[in-house]
Amino acid sequence: MSRFACVRVPHFIAVAVERSEPALSERPLAIVAGAPPATRVVEANWAARERGVLPGLTDAEARARCLGLVRRPLCDEVTASARHALLEACLGVSPRVEDAGAGLVHVDIAGLGRLIGPDAAVGERLLRAARAVGLEARVGIAVSRAAARVAARIGARVNVVPPGGERAVLGPAALAELELPEELAQTFARWGLTTLGELAALPRAGVAARLGAPGLAAHDLACGQDREPFRAWAPPPFWEEAQGLEWEIDSLGALEAVLGGVLTRLAARLEAARLWADALDVRLELASGGHHTRAVVLAAPMGEVRPMLTLLVLDLEAHPPPAPVVGVSVSARVVPRRAVAAGLWERSVPTVRDLAAVLGRLAALVGRARVGAAVLDDSHRPDAHTLAPFDPTAAGEHESPGTGVRGVPSEVGFSERGVPRTPVPGTLVLRRLRPPREVEVETDAAGRPAMVRGATSAEARVVTCAGPWRSSGEWWDTRAWARDEWDVALSDGALCRLALDDRTGRWALDGVYD
Amino acid sequence: MTVDQLLRQGAVTEIVGPLCSGRTSLLAACLREVARAGGTAALIDADDAFDPASAARAGVDLRRVLWVRCGGRRDAALRAADLLVRCPGFALVAFDVGESPPRISLAQAFRLRLAVRRGGAALLVVARRRVLGAGAALVVETHRRGLAWVGSRPTPTRLAGAETAVSVLRRQGAEARGGGVMTWSA
Repeated sequence: MSRFACVRVPHFIAVAVERSEPALSERPLAIVAGAPPATRVVEANWAARERGVLPGLTDAEARARCLGLVRRPLCDEVTASARHALLEACLGVSPRVEDAGAGLVHVDIAGLGRLIGPDAAVGERLLRAARAVGLEARVGIAVSRAAARVAARIGARVNVVPPGGERAVLGPAALAELELPEELAQTFARWGLTTLGELAALPRAGVAARLGAPGLAAHDLACGQDREPFRAWAPPPFWEEAQGLEWEIDSLGALEAVLGGVLTRLAARLEAARLWADALDVRLELASGGHHTRAVVLAAPMGEVRPMLTLLVLDLEAHPPPAPVVGVSVSARVVPRRAVAAGLWERSVPTVRDLAAVLGRLAALVGRARVGAAVLDDSHRPDAHTLAPFDPTAAGEHESPGTGVRGVPSEVGFSERGVPRTPVPGTLVLRRLRPPREVEVETDAAGRPAMVRGATSAEARVVTCAGPWRSSGEWWDTRAWARDEWDVALSDGALCRLALDDRTGRWALDGVYD
Repeated sequence: MTVDQLLRQGAVTEIVGPLCSGRTSLLAACLREVARAGGTAALIDADDAFDPASAARAGVDLRRVLWVRCGGRRDAALRAADLLVRCPGFALVAFDVGESPPRISLAQAFRLRLAVRRGGAALLVVARRRVLGAGAALVVETHRRGLAWVGSRPTPTRLAGAETAVSVLRRQGAEARGGGVMTWSA
C-alpha cells in the first residue's frame, strides 16, 4: 500500500527570508516586490498577518497597518536556497521525494515504518529534518499525495489520515484550503459548495462537462486522487547558499559575519544529506556591478562551519574583493561523508577541524604550494618529488616496532609516554641545496675531483671521493638530463654530493650529507 | 641513544652541531620512528633542505610527515612552528632552522616552550647552534667521528656510511652527561 507525506512550510517566502536572517523571526515581516510606488506585499509572516498585513496590499497600506513592519525585497536566490534545503532535508528521511512547489514536498514513505516506526514517527522525523535546516513545517500523511497535501493544511502539525479514512477526515475541510483559482472558487461558491466533501460528492463527468480541466483537477484534489505520476527529485550537483544584502560591506570583519551565516545554513544542508564539503566556491556580488569569485580547496573534507569560515576568510584576506560587497553566495563541492573510527591502539592524529585550520594558516603564511606531504615521483631525475595534500588518515595501517600482535604495543616497543623506544641506527641523509649551487672543480688526470671552490668554503681539497654515478633521462623532452654524481669528502670536513652536468660540463653542489 | 631519550611529549629538544655532523640523519631517524608508530609529524624546513628521497630511503613514511617549506624565510618558519605546536594531534614537530638560525629572545623561547607543553607534541629543533637557550629541556650536540668508504684506497668506489658522536649539553633537571655513537649507512 502506498503512503505519502506532504511537507508544507506555510508562508514559505517569508520563512525563507527569516532563515537567512534569524533575527527577523520574532518581528512582523513583509516581502515586497515591484518598484515604488507600485510596490506590493507578496508574502508576510505570522506576526505581520496578525497585524493585518496580507499579500496584495500596497507598501503604504502595509506600513499603515503595522508600524514596526520590517520589509525585505523579494530575493529569488534566498527562496531557491530554502526550497533546495527543504528538499534535501526530506531526502535525508526518504530516498524518494517530489518537488511540488515552493515550500511543498511530497515524500514517498512506503516501507519506512520498519525503519522509523509508525506514520506519526515518520512525520515527526520529517518535521525535525525541516527544522534542522531552519524551516518550520507541517506534515500530512495519507495514501495519496493529493490527500496528504490537504491533510498538511488542516489539523495538527503532523496530521495522519488512516487508510480509507480520507473522506471522513478531509471531507469537512473548507474548500478554501485547496487555494483554487479565483474564477473557479467563485463558481463553486455560486453552486453553494463550502467543503471538500461536498465537491467530492459531485459526479466527475458533470464537473468535467461544465468546468473542464481546472474543475477536474479540483475534483481530484477533493477526492484525494493522484492523476499525475510521481516525479522523483534528485539533488543538484551544486550545493549553494546565498545572501542578498541591502547595504554595502567594505570590511572583512563584517563580511565574515555574513559568510558565517551563509556557511551555517550550507553546513546544515550538508549535515542533513550526510555529505562533506571538499571545496567551496565563493561568489561575491560587488557594488560596482562585477563579481569577485574565489575557489577554496579545503585541506580535508569537512562539514564544520568554523574551519570552513577560517579558510574562506584567510583566502579573502589574501585576495580581497576590489569593491564593496552587496551579495554573497557560497557553493560547495561535496563528497560522501566517511565514517572514521580510530582503533583503540592507534596514535592520535590531528582532528579534521584542527588540521584544516592549521593547514589554511600555513598556506597563507608560506603559500599553498609549499605545504603538504612529499610524494616521490616515478623517475630517476634528481630531487623528483611533488607535494600532495596532507591527509594522515589516508596513510593506512602502520607497523608497530616490537609488537607481536599488530597494533598492540609491547613493553619493548613503546615507552610510557608513547614514543617508540628503539635504537637509532639509520641512513645518512642528504641536505639539498635548492637550486644546486654552481661550484668550480679541478679534476686530476683520471677526471676525478681534486679541488673544489665555492662549496662549503672558499677552497677545499678533495680528501676522498667515490663515483661517478651516472644517470640520464627524458632525452626525448626539453627536461632532459645527463649527469655524473660524486660523493666527496673535503679537507674542510664537509661531505658533499657534487654533480657534473654532462650536457653543459658544469659542476654543481647538490647537497651535503648531514 | 634512543629516540625516546631524545623526544619527550610536551618538551623541547635541540640537536646542534656543525654541518655534516649527522644531525639531519638523526632528525630523519626521529621522523621514521614517530611515523612507524602511527604518529603524525610535521617538519618545518626553513631552508628547503629536506630531501624526500633520502628520507624515504631512511625509512620515513612521507605520508605521515607534513612538510612545510619556508624558502629561507626565518620569520615564517618560526610562525609556522608556533602554529603547529599549538595544533593538537601531532606527535612530533621538527623545526630545521637551517644554517643561519634566527634570533629568538628568551621570552619567545619560553612562550614556545609553554605552547609545546600545552599542545603535547614533542618539538625537535635542529640547528648549527643553540637557539632556544633554557627553553629546551634537552640539548644534544653532534660531531662526526669518521667516514667509511668501500673499495681500495686511494680510489674507493662507494661511500658506505658515517659515524656520529652525540653528547648531551643540557638536560633539564639533571646533570648534563651521557651520549653515544651512532652509525649511519649511506
